[in-house]
Amino acid sequence: MVADLVFYLFAAVTVAAALGVITSRNQVHSVLFLILAFFTTAGLFVLLKAEFLAALLVIVYMGAVAVLFLFVVMMLDVDFESLRAGVKEHLPMGLFVGAVILAEFAFILSGVHVDEAVQTNAANIPNTQLIGQVLYTKYLFPFEIASLVLLVALIGAVVLTLRKRKDAKRQHIPSQIARTRDEAVELVKVAPGQGA
Amino acid sequence: MLENYFPILVFLAMAIGMAVVMQVLSFLLGPRKPDAKKVTQYECGFSPLSAVRIPFDVRFYLIAILFVVFDIEAAFLFPWAVAFKQLGMIGFVEMILFLLVLLVGYAYVWKKGALEWD
Repeated sequence: MVADLVFYLFAAVTVAAALGVITSRNQVHSVLFLILAFFTTAGLFVLLKAEFLAALLVIVYMGAVAVLFLFVVMMLDVDFESLRAGVKEHLPMGLFVGAVILAEFAFILSGVHVDEAVQTNAANIPNTQLIGQVLYTKYLFPFEIASLVLLVALIGAVVLTLRKRKDAKRQHIPSQIARTRDEAVELVKVAPGQGA
Repeated sequence: MLENYFPILVFLAMAIGMAVVMQVLSFLLGPRKPDAKKVTQYECGFSPLSAVRIPFDVRFYLIAILFVVFDIEAAFLFPWAVAFKQLGMIGFVEMILFLLVLLVGYAYVWKKGALEWD
């Protein structure tokens, strides 16, 4: 009973937040709505007894991905007025991209199937363990591919964004420690009246 | 199982309720006499010089994306650790492979100096 109520609450907030993402004028507000949508989706996962996915959503999506989005929004110096002006010209393209994404979702959902091993054991094995048992045996290949994808992301990010400043003064700890008193300090005997 | 989450639900309701009550109360009870000076952006006492939204340095983005990658790597470790006994030696080897690939990335990032600010 309470679970039903909480489900409808979370579901309603998720839909409202998702609408907020695409309708709010300010991109920062969009990202904040997105974080809210992630959070309520995590709540829905908990209701489905998928605690690991819920934790993942909170840690990875809210903690990392949303922050990344926020950085991108802050970094791009977007002129809101010029953005708003081009809506009519960009509408066909936007609709096209939206239709493609919708078709992809429909395609994935039509082919969805629950693994038998998961289905039969779902009641008595904790879901994190169940994910582990399937992910690292049956889906071993996609899992190892994921590491390569992450590697590509890592290298891509460094290649695209790393700029070394030439003029910045850096510490060079070994040489700083290796300095001796003799090379660092010079004692000078100055005669009275000759100091200037 | 869901009963275990009831305290969290109560906590959530309290937190949201408290925030809403405080906002609403201050909205209803607080005096509001806005004038031009009061509602402009505050910039250390002088009139605002420029827009507040200035673009971030791209280096923040690099730090964030490195964090995301290693965050996901850590996330993959959790189900592996929980199902470790069932997976046996094969599971151990494949996780080592997974970590090795990312170790290459880590070495690259370190060598490139992307972990340092300047």
